[in-house]
Amino acid sequence: MSTVVSTMKHVRGFDVARPLSIGMLVFMMLPLVFLPLASIFIFGTSNGLDKFWAALTAPEAVFALKLSLATSFWATVFNVLFGLFAAYVLSRYHFWGRNALIVTISLPTAIPTAVAGFALLLLWGPYGTLGRFLAPHGVQVMFTAGAIILANIFVTFPLAFGVIKPVFDTMNRSLEEASATIGATRWQTFWHVTLPSLRGAIVSGALLTFARAVGEFGSTILVSGNLAGRTQTAPLYIFAKFNEGQIEAANAIAIVLALFSFLIFSVLFVARDWLDVD
Amino acid sequence: MKAKRVIENQKSSEFSKSAPQVAASVFGISKRFGKSSVLENITFDVAEGEALVLLGASGSGKTTILRVIAGLEQPYTGRVVLHGRDVTDLPARERGVGVIFQSYALFPKMTVEKNIGYGLRIRKRRRKEIKQTVNDLLALVQLEEHRKKYPSQLSGGQQQRVAIARTLAYKPEVLLFDEPFGALDTQTRVHLRREIRALLRKVNVPAIFITHDQEEALELGDRVAVINKGHIEQIGTPFEIYNHPATEYVATFLGAANILEAVVRDDYLEVGSTRVPAQIDREKFKTGSCVKIVFRPEDVSLSRSDFLKTGQLKVSSGIVEEISFVGAYERVRLKLEPNGGDTCANGDTPYYLTTQTPEAPTQKSIIATRPKPEASSVKLNIGDRVVVAITSYTILPTQEQRETSATKS
Repeated sequence: MSTVVSTMKHVRGFDVARPLSIGMLVFMMLPLVFLPLASIFIFGTSNGLDKFWAALTAPEAVFALKLSLATSFWATVFNVLFGLFAAYVLSRYHFWGRNALIVTISLPTAIPTAVAGFALLLLWGPYGTLGRFLAPHGVQVMFTAGAIILANIFVTFPLAFGVIKPVFDTMNRSLEEASATIGATRWQTFWHVTLPSLRGAIVSGALLTFARAVGEFGSTILVSGNLAGRTQTAPLYIFAKFNEGQIEAANAIAIVLALFSFLIFSVLFVARDWLDVD
Repeated sequence: MKAKRVIENQKSSEFSKSAPQVAASVFGISKRFGKSSVLENITFDVAEGEALVLLGASGSGKTTILRVIAGLEQPYTGRVVLHGRDVTDLPARERGVGVIFQSYALFPKMTVEKNIGYGLRIRKRRRKEIKQTVNDLLALVQLEEHRKKYPSQLSGGQQQRVAIARTLAYKPEVLLFDEPFGALDTQTRVHLRREIRALLRKVNVPAIFITHDQEEALELGDRVAVINKGHIEQIGTPFEIYNHPATEYVATFLGAANILEAVVRDDYLEVGSTRVPAQIDREKFKTGSCVKIVFRPEDVSLSRSDFLKTGQLKVSSGIVEEISFVGAYERVRLKLEPNGGDTCANGDTPYYLTTQTPEAPTQKSIIATRPKPEASSVKLNIGDRVVVAITSYTILPTQEQRETSATKS
């Protein structure tokens, strides 16, 4: 995936536009992106690394991080499998209402996350459409880790699907036909031929979903109940500690989350070559 | 070992060459998409080790025939039989045919070895056996040094050889080639089709090719079936269909053809007022009936006098309209002189020309080609009046005659 950058041959001598435009780009990004990110790290470590470490290893902080990772993980597993299935069905079969389904799957990203959380509450909450039938049996869906997973699934619903479906659409159908004529069952064809071609899309879809789910705040704060040590995710922990005035505690987790998303996108960027291997 | 056994098996069946065994046959295949009929009553068979070419324009239905045999599409009526086994109701994966797709359809994430071994892997063969077969096939298609490469790292010709080896691995009943050279440049395709022809002779697996390229069809096929609008116009050896086309479509599809109308008389044909001695199949053509005679540009000989060599039959005289140099030969377009005679009852156009050449078909013109020695010994100029004679021709039955003879048989 190397691109050859052509030098501007039509300019005589030293091209002033080059350093100027690059400098301009970096300068514009400074207050918008670089400085906010840098300040997390500067502030978080200003009181010494041992303070930072103490804030990070506080039981509630560790719990919040673990909860975020676990709920995001399960939401990712579900959405990748679902996205794979939905993409398969929607690119293989043309049926009445197909476009409506595609739009519906894509909808959750367009809905404000607070609205998504509220909608889940209205459905599963103790007085919700479904929840009121479950409550008498002692089944409580909201204000649990399960609720967080549901919220994560909802807000990241179309991400994996959106990455996988185009690959399905452009996939050469004769590959699958060839596999069939060679003697493979549908399942063997899917496993040996279709899935390997989707490898890149699945990995990047999963990483996107996971990154988005780990950072989810708006819907989580509504459905989780925000109980420290029980249903408080990392973003909620940051918000709670900030409200309590414990800036260091909030900052320690913020650093971890920032590093984490940085890591995910580095993986996506570096692995792009590997993922696209033909 | 397996691959060798494939070869040996088929070699051992060579003793039956004198009475060729039918390897694959289709009976009365028809297919419809909605109301439009795509295939009508397609019937043919392929002998063991034979190469049959389905030749037709795009949209003629030839690809559908192939897909029906492969099991990728269901026929509306008709049966597909492979080595005596009726496979019409079997899914593609249980038929054991080898399809070489136009795009080769090699699995992009598998190496050459993995691609070739795929058929055996999904059949759960032992690893040792798979390895042996893959090695044999790599040797057969001469790709040993590319075994670890991915398809995208190979040239078009190499990819195609991988595709063939991949199907040979599981000993296919028949090989089906879908426009195998469509994606290649002229030089490579000429080279490749000779290579494939040689390879097929070696493994002796029956093959069905699909192409729209008449030159390719004539060179590749032991027999050629010309497909037009979903039915077979003619099936025969390349020599037969080129020199004795059964229909006007076949005549014109297989290269430039001159077609003249003529009237059948007792022992000659009347072209205009010229009598052309002919041996006429009385079964087919009644005296007084109107027929078309077809002859190739290379069957035309032009001379300045009425003095003709034996075997040359004068049909008319004409004026040279255009002379063009086409490399190996010279092409002359002639305007035939109206020579009276009420050729046919409806005879509005006694002569006309159909060619695949880009120039618009001009009525009452014919095209002749002359090899270099002749072109240089008898120089022609535009406007010259010449005697037009032909050395060989075919009488085409009219549409009605074809239909009656078809119902008889």
